[in-house]
Formats: sequence, structure tokens, C-alpha cells
Amino acid sequence: MAEDFPFEISPMFEGERIRKNDMYVELAGPKSVGFELVRASEMDNVEDGKFTLIGPDISEMEEGGRYPFAMIYKIAGELVEEDLESIVERRNHDFQNYVQGLMHLNQRYDVWVRISKEAVGKGMTSFESIAKAIMMLFKNELPFIEKVEAIYITDKDEIEKRLDEAKEIYKSRDDRTRNLHDEDVDTFYGCTLCQSFAPSNVCVITPDRVSLCGAINWFDGRAAAKVDPEGPQFAIPKGDVIDDMSGEYTGVNEIAKTLSSGEYDRIKLHSFFEYPHTSCGCFEVVGFYIPEVDGIGWVDRDFPGTAPNGLPFSTMAGQTGGGKQVVGFLGIGINYFRSPKFIQADGGWNRVVWMPKNLKDRVISDIPADIVDKIATEEDVSDLESLKTFLNEKNHPVVDRWESEEEEIIEEVAEKTTATTMPQMQSTMPMNFPTMPQMTGEGGGVKIILKNAKVSVDKIIIKKND
Amino acid sequence: MSELKSGTFSIEELENVQITIGSIVGAIEKAAEEEGDVGPTAKPGISDLRDWDYKLLEKYNPVYTPMCDQCCYCTFGTCDLTGNKEGACGINMEGHNAREFMLRVITGAAAHSGHGRHLLHHLIDLYGKDYPLKVGPSNIIAPNVQLVTGKKPETLGDLDDALDYVEEQLVQLLATVHMGQEGEAIDFESKALHGGMLDHVGMEVSDIAQISCLDMPKAKENTSLAEIGMGTIDPEKPVLLVIGHNVAGVTNIIDYMEEHNLSDKIELCGLCCTALDMTRYRTEGGDVPKAKVVGTLAKELKMIRSGVPDVIVVDEQCVRADVLREARKLMMPVITTNDKIMYGLPNRSNDDVEDIINDLKEGKQDGALILDFEKLGEVAPRLAQEMSKIRKEKGVTALPTDEEFKELTSRCVHCLACELDCPTNLPISDSMTSAAEGNLSPFEELHDKCIGCGRCEQACPKDIPILNVIEKAAQKVIREEKGKVRVGRGQISDPEIREEGVNLVMGTTPGIVALVGCSNHPEGTKDLYRIGDEMLKRNYIVIVSGCTAMDIGMYKNEDGETLYERYPARFLKGNLINVGSCVSNSHITGAAIKVAAIFAQRNVAGNYEEIADYILNRVGAVGVAWGAYSQKAASIGTGCNRLGIPVIVGPHGSKYRRALIGKPYDEEKWKVYDARDGSEISTPAAPEYLLTSAETVEELMPMLAKSCIRPSDNNMGRMIKLTHYIELSEKYLGIMPDDWYKFVRTETDLPLARREELLKILEKEHGWEIDWNKKKILSGPTTKSDVSAQPTNIKRLCKEAC
Repeated sequence: MAEDFPFEISPMFEGERIRKNDMYVELAGPKSVGFELVRASEMDNVEDGKFTLIGPDISEMEEGGRYPFAMIYKIAGELVEEDLESIVERRNHDFQNYVQGLMHLNQRYDVWVRISKEAVGKGMTSFESIAKAIMMLFKNELPFIEKVEAIYITDKDEIEKRLDEAKEIYKSRDDRTRNLHDEDVDTFYGCTLCQSFAPSNVCVITPDRVSLCGAINWFDGRAAAKVDPEGPQFAIPKGDVIDDMSGEYTGVNEIAKTLSSGEYDRIKLHSFFEYPHTSCGCFEVVGFYIPEVDGIGWVDRDFPGTAPNGLPFSTMAGQTGGGKQVVGFLGIGINYFRSPKFIQADGGWNRVVWMPKNLKDRVISDIPADIVDKIATEEDVSDLESLKTFLNEKNHPVVDRWESEEEEIIEEVAEKTTATTMPQMQSTMPMNFPTMPQMTGEGGGVKIILKNAKVSVDKIIIKKND
Repeated sequence: MSELKSGTFSIEELENVQITIGSIVGAIEKAAEEEGDVGPTAKPGISDLRDWDYKLLEKYNPVYTPMCDQCCYCTFGTCDLTGNKEGACGINMEGHNAREFMLRVITGAAAHSGHGRHLLHHLIDLYGKDYPLKVGPSNIIAPNVQLVTGKKPETLGDLDDALDYVEEQLVQLLATVHMGQEGEAIDFESKALHGGMLDHVGMEVSDIAQISCLDMPKAKENTSLAEIGMGTIDPEKPVLLVIGHNVAGVTNIIDYMEEHNLSDKIELCGLCCTALDMTRYRTEGGDVPKAKVVGTLAKELKMIRSGVPDVIVVDEQCVRADVLREARKLMMPVITTNDKIMYGLPNRSNDDVEDIINDLKEGKQDGALILDFEKLGEVAPRLAQEMSKIRKEKGVTALPTDEEFKELTSRCVHCLACELDCPTNLPISDSMTSAAEGNLSPFEELHDKCIGCGRCEQACPKDIPILNVIEKAAQKVIREEKGKVRVGRGQISDPEIREEGVNLVMGTTPGIVALVGCSNHPEGTKDLYRIGDEMLKRNYIVIVSGCTAMDIGMYKNEDGETLYERYPARFLKGNLINVGSCVSNSHITGAAIKVAAIFAQRNVAGNYEEIADYILNRVGAVGVAWGAYSQKAASIGTGCNRLGIPVIVGPHGSKYRRALIGKPYDEEKWKVYDARDGSEISTPAAPEYLLTSAETVEELMPMLAKSCIRPSDNNMGRMIKLTHYIELSEKYLGIMPDDWYKFVRTETDLPLARREELLKILEKEHGWEIDWNKKKILSGPTTKSDVSAQPTNIKRLCKEAC
């Protein structure tokens, strides 16, 4: 209960910044050491609610001082497993910020904490009250935690002694995340949180596909589904593999049908063209098919200009979203660029022809080395014509596709021998300006040539011919 | 021959030939048809959205608080309508008050649309009908226009069509005010809602026209800060004061001043929304605003009485009727520039600039009507320079001297007539006593709350110029009146809404609070600061416009910072954004419409009912007109209401004579359909009202949090919203709200830090069953938690219904 603590706990303190002058002590941070760590433990190894402090307490610290700081939480419960550690750990940041007078920045061994003078004045003189509050919040939010114990350390030697071990754990977690793929698990997770705004959208979260908003990965989904199996995040049994490459599974299709109220019944997780994953509307990037080069461009919402097809982000984004499957446009979160299965059904990175420079730079380390220079940006090309030239020059993989298509066309033409010219690739650009009707005079008679003339028509009345 | 379209065309084969086609009758309807997705109510007439209105009015019942219990519309009257009596025409009290309310609404709507019409004519004149609309990086250029008319405007000329529709409808509505027309209150209510909807179209037309043509910021974040306050005006320079809402002619003044290097030599300042729009003019690239803002209507009389302005230019709306009479006393020539306000002045539009300046400077006339903006641009600044010299030479002083002040304050007989007449019942009498004794602080305090209406003077039997006394007493405070106002940003762009979507879904942005309305705040500008600060700290998005945008920048904290300086200005949680002037209010409803279009891919064009239904059930936004007195505030609020956005007015707002209040205890009324299968589901009473009033800031605070709760909240969103509702109630009223549990569907809806405590209360006081092992609610809630449910009030939107 909040009343038991000598401070207030509320999400309204989340944005609280404690400036140097208002600060009583600074803990960890760039000029000191520290870390935060959550460990899954056996039930017997955790004494619920216990708090241990190694080193000086707040009351023993000098005002204005800087101290090393580590927080270790041991959690246990029937459903607790190692895979959930990072999820719980990330909540430490949120919950510490709920505490008035406490500022928590960053994570893992970059944590940086400040306690305000005002809070200490009001009675926040011991770490114990903070740890107890955080433990209470952990248990309230994540009821699969049946027991939790906290160890805070402010002793520099002790922290340094344990830091290497912590770093090992972070590393093995990262390896696990990186090496975990769709094929390694038999359960995906669904998220319907955004159905409060996008009624038919269903997010399918897999190890290779984070939620579109970027807020929920497979591990988050797993944790949430454990907390409340009937809640907005829930397990999707993968079912049978229909198509490995495009990522189509019977389990996913079934759930898609139910949760979209029958709007659609197939989802291919890693496909751009066929039964693509839906989006709500908050996507950071929209992908768009460029028929003229048979490639895919991506534009992010911070890009102010227009893509080579002449359209800005907002216009293309307006074509998709709202939980609808729209062929030709796909909304994604930036994280999906990092997936090894990134639109693999359609050629993955080999199909990507254009991105804004800023976006490309952000994900550059995830772009395969052999393609990275072949993807154009607004600095290289300005329209479809220059894009075509660029791709040709760089010998982008999509160029091969053109050749095969052109060959087909030529063959066709040769067979039919009716067309005299090569068919132009159709432009899909909407014309902003009306094209002037061809005024071809019929029959003979007088030919009038107007020079420097201005014809004004005030009103034209069109009537239906009944 | 392929199809003709309006616009200017060149013909390639013919050299230098250009064909211009003005408009094609029937083209818009045809284009809309071609676009495909047009909903069932493009350009709705009065009866077309009546079903929707009835649904709203069934849930939110009109409650009348008549200010006058008679009707004096016709010569059979005056008719007494008290005690359920009917008037000579058969109208009853309910009907008449609904009619009066509707009249307020359409008057407000006409003011905005008339403004829009003038501006549009002017801008089409300058830029042509083909001039493209430019509002920022958005696909939905004009959400209100598109929603109501079914047509996506692309050029200035397209706006013409939208305005034609608004004008036609306003005439139809005005016709029903006549005796012997509508007889039932409920249909006057529906008509009022119709008028409110039209208002947002009219406002949007006005603002996007000027944003497009006048280089105003286009959905720009963190626009620059302009100076505001009487203390920012340098009285040593010639002072040119403009008053009103329509910036059209003022742009010529600004241009003339720049071309003639007068910008530093003349103090150009403004009152009301013209001032705000002056700061927006040509600041698209982040340029320094080209004028200063004095403040709202509340400062109008005070500014004139200060004697500081040398010339006054007025345009339209919220300009006091006595500007000319007041200015005449202080030798300030008044230039009227718009058909709507002419003050009986001679029309000098066709006269020579030199003649006009000479006549005015020699005092041959008190002012002039100049409808030619080229001339206005030259006359006003030049005249200001001349008048400044003349007025200084003549030693024109306005405020009483110290001796006069002493005499005036001692003259007061403390009859309290002024206090009775004061709209906010300020303690004038006691302040007079203190001032006579040499203590000015009561008047200094009173000054901030005073709305400068001058009614006190009319009431005074001893002819004390009370306003002058207040102003004289508050000189020290007035000199310190130096605030900041964020330059109006225009719309909220589509990409911004997409970015913020995740916060709205997760509840990390618990809601959107639009602080709008006029400037008669019960406790002065501090009220707005308190409301804004509290909600911003809680990560609500706070949107301001018009008078509120000005007043919220007038109050500073101990560090001398306004809220604009303390909070950033993106469309993001915990941000404070100013959309712009009065007509920019349409961007607030516009943002709500965009949410439906973006996240649910709902068709906007001509699809009013469905979008409003979506907003009512899903978008946690609330409007607050803390000070509200103009008819425009009534029409803006009513337009929000029809779109499903609740509005809370301050104490003065009850004088609008009616509220729309739900009955939370009548559970039947809160049943809606689940669009997935047409079944009925229970929802909480959220929002509980569409229009209600609050007496104090303390009462308002928890209401704000509660007003952002919606049936569709997911559990994360509900948890945060409920947390703020409970916390604000405890903080400001010292109690748990008595209905908090009604918003709990599952334990995950409960505020995180207090879950156990609240579960105990639910068990003990409300008899809910709790599984204490799992800390789960087993039974009790009246509404179910199902984020996939699709609440709707409209049967035809349900799957099974078709």
C-alpha cells in the first residue's frame, strides 16, 4: 500500500527530472559504477520480501555525493523462468521512476539514479523503503512472481566483484535473443492492445518479428501471457508450418480469423505481397512497391520529402493501416529491419531499392554487405528515372528481374506481332494536374490557330444524357 | 474527348494559349463518386444526422437553466413561460431555451464562417482558385471539411464549395428561429448540434486557407515564442494596435512596415486572435514573429484606456462596440476594415492616402472605413507615426494622476452596486478602501481577474471611472505583464498522430485535454496555469487555442517561466501545443477525426455518424472552456459534442442555459452494440456528460481525468486513467471518487501501486469476490473486459445487422 512508504508512487512522476541542484545523492551513472539485475531462482533460495543492503545507506551518505550502486532482485515462482528475467528487469526502470523524488535512467550496467533533496527531507532515508516499494510493484504487476528478494549494494568493491558476473549474464541473454528464431519455438504471441483504436488489427509476435509498435517482443509476450493468459497478450500455438519461407502457420491463420472478426484468414509473417501482416497505424516506416523497377522502397515518418514515386510518407501511410491487409504497402516498426527473416518471402533485402538516408544509416549494420551500396537514398536519386539508372549502374539484384520480364514481354510481342512499340511500364503515380484533353479537330474546314490567347470559361454545366 | 476539369491548362500544340475553367457544376459530386468511398451523409441537411443526434440526446439529456423566463421574439409577446405556461405561439420554456441555445450556436458558427468567407474571397483574389492547400505532411488535408462534405479539398477553390454548403445550412437553421417554426426542444437540440458541426467546417476553411497562403506554420512542432502582455509594449515608440480576428488586412500593414524599414520603429501589437494570427504570419520557417500580442478581449478596454495606442485598426469579432467612443476621448484614430464593423465611419476606401492621413491627423474625423488593404497597409503605420508625435506634444494622458486617484478612491460610498454588476463579483469596494489608505495590492490582485468589461462604471452612482482606478492601481503589475505565447502550429499532422498512437494505446498518454474558450476565468490566468501544469505533469497532451493560448502564457512560476517554456510542443505525451487562433479549434476535432482514419482506416468522407461513434467510444479527449462567454465558444463546444467529444465549461458557462448530462445510474442507457455480432454489451458511463460545468479548478481536475475514460480502453490505458482519476480526486477534493469502481473490469484495471488496497475495498464495500491467492477478481464488475469488443451505438455498423 502506498501509504506505508515515505514517498508517493504514481505514474505521474515518470517524467520527473532531478537536476543537480535539487539532488541529494547520485547513484551509479557515467561517473561511477553500478548495474541492475534480475535473477530467476529456486523457490527455496528466495526469502520473500527480504532486503539486504551491502554498503552505506542513504542516511549515511553525504549530501551532494556520488556513490556506486547495484540492484539485484531474486525472483521465484512456479512460472518463473530465465527467459523472463530481462522483462522484469526492465520494469525496474519504470517502477523506480514512479517513486517521487527518484530518477532512474538507462539500464543494465549503465543505470544512473538520483534521489532528490526533497524526497530525503520527506523521509526517504533508507534504500529499504525503495526496494520494498519496487518489490510490491513487481508482484502487483507480474503475479507470476510469487517470491521476491532484493539486494542493493553501495560498496564499490562488492559491486566490481559482481559486475563481471552480471555482464556474463547480459551477454548470454543477448545471445539467446539473437539466436532464437521462429523455428526454435512452438508458441508465438498475439497482441490485441491496439484493438482499442484499431478494431481488427492483430499483432503476431515471434522471435523474428517484434510487435509493430516496437514495444513488445517475443519475451514480453511470453511474460504477459503468463501473467494473464486471457489478457491482451496471449499464446498462439504455432500449429503446422504451411510455408516456412513466407512464415505461414495454421495456428496463426486460425487466430487471425477469430480476432479480426473474419476480416482476413491468412497471415504470412514475412511476406510483403501476399497476405501481409496487418498494421494499426502507428508504424514508423511504410514499405511501398515500385512497379517501375519491381522493387520495394521504404520511407519513415520523419522523412519530410517525397519518395522516388513522387509521394510523401503520409500519402502512402494513408493507404494502409487500420488492421487491413493492403497489397503494395506495408507498415512496419524499425526493428523489423533487424529481423533475419525480413520480408524473406519476397527476396528480403535483395528487393529493397530505396530508403531515406537517415533511415538507412539507422539500420545500416543490419543490411547485408553485398547490397548496402546498391540501395539508393534521396541523395542518389530523385525520381523513378534516376532510380532506374542508379539500380542499373549498381547492378542491383532487382535488375535481373527486369531482364527476365522484358524477355517475356519481347517474346509475347514477337508472337503477337501486333504491337509496334515496346509497352511502357505503367506509371502508378496519381496525376496532380489534369492532363489536357487532346483536341483533335474532326472533319475539314477552317483551322484556327490561337496564339497568346486566353480562353476563360466561367462555368460548364454537365448534364446527364437520359 | 477526355474529361474536363477545373483549373488552368496549357495546350502544347498551341503556343501561349491558356484555358481557364472556373468551376464545373456537378464535378464535385462526380469526383466524390469516382473516389468511391463516400459515406451516407455527404453534405448533410438538417434531418440527415438527426438519428445520431437523437442517440446522443437519449444518452445525454438536455438540462436547461434559463437566464430569462420570457420570450419577446414577436409582438404577441412578451410571453411569460414560467410554470409550464406556453407563449402566444405555443412555444414552451424548454423549446424556447433550446431555440435560444441554438441561436447562440449558429451565431457563433456564422461569425467563423463569415470570417472564412471574407478571408477566402480575399485570398482567392490574391492567389487564385487553383492555389493548392498546404497544411503540412498530411494525407487528410481538411478532416472536418472531408468528413462533412464528403469531398477532399485540394485548392482554395475547393474550399469555396465547402463554405457554400455551410452558408446554405446556416440559413436553413436561422429560419427555424422564426416564430411558428420548430416547436419541440429536442429538434432544436438536434439543430444546435448541426450548427456546431457546421462551425468546425467554417473554422477549418478559414484556417487552412490562411495557413496555405500566408506562410503560417504548417503542423510545425516547437514553433517560436512570441511576446505577450501589456508590459511588453514600448510606449515610447508609435504604437499601432489591431483588434479582432481576421488577419487579412493586417498582413498588408506588416508588409508595408517591412518594405519601408519601419518594423523596428513602430510597435505593432494586437488584441484577440488577429494578434495570434499576426505572430503566425510568415513564420513558417521559424522566423521571429512580426508583432506582439497584448492579450485577450479582457485587455481591450484596459489597453485603450492606458492611452498607449496611437492608432487602432479593427477587423471583426470580439471587438468591443465602444472602441470608437473610447478611442475618441484619447485622440486615437480608429480604422475599420471589414463590413462587419464600420462604426458609422465614412468610407475612405477610394480616397487618396495622403488625404486620409491628413484628415485623421487633423482630427477632422474620428476614424475611417478603409476596405482597400493596400491603402490600409500604408495609412495605418504612417498615421501611427504622425499621431504618436501629435499625441505626445498635446500631452494626452489617460489614467488619473496620483491626486485624482486619491480623490476617486475616497469618493466611493461602498454601495456595492459595482460588485453586484461585476460578472465575476470582484471585491471592488474593499479594494477602494485599501487603495484610499495607500495599499494597492488588493487592486493589483483584482486586475488579473478583472475581465475589463466596464460594467462597474455603468453601475457607479458616483461616476467613478472604476476601470481607470484599477488600471492606475495596477501600473506596477501591468509593467511586469510580460509573458510568452507559442506561435500557433496549425494542424496536427498524420505522421505525428501515428507516432503518438502507441502512447494513446498503452495509456502512457492518458488523454488529450483541449483548453479552449474565452478569458473570463474565475481566478484569472493562474487557473489555466494550474490546470495545464497538473495535466502536463501527468503526461496528458494539452492543446490550447485562441484566448486560452494567450492567457496560459501570461502566468509564470517562481522561476519566471510560463508553461510554454516549461513543456515542449510536439503532439506527444506531456506536451503543450498551441494550434493557433479561434478558427484553429477545428484542428482539435480534426485530430480526433484523423485518429479514426489512421488507426481504424475508417472512411472519413461523408461518414459523420460512424466517425463520431468511433470518437465517442474510443478517443479519450475532453474540451474545457474554462472561461466562456462568446457565442463562438458555444458553437465550438457544440461541434465537439456532436462528434462525441465532451466539454466542460467553467462557472460562467452555465449561462449558456443548457447542459447535456447522462444518468450513470441508469444502466440500460449505457448499453451499446458489439459491432462484431450486434449483441448488446454494457459499458461504463464514459464519458458521463457531453456538456457540463465545473465551479472550481479543484472540482474540474478529477473530472478531466474521468472525461478521458472510454469504453474501448484496454486494461493498460484504463489503469493509468483510473490512477489519475483517483489521485486527482484525492489531491483536490480529499476523497476517493464515489464511482471509481464502476470503471473496473478486471484487476489489471486497478492502479498498480494500490492494487491490494483497492481489492480489499472492492471486497468489503462492494461485495466483489476476490481470489486472494491469484489476486484476481472473480465476480463483481458490471462491465466486461474485452479489448476486442467493438462498442458502437449504430446498429447498421454491426456485422450481423447487414
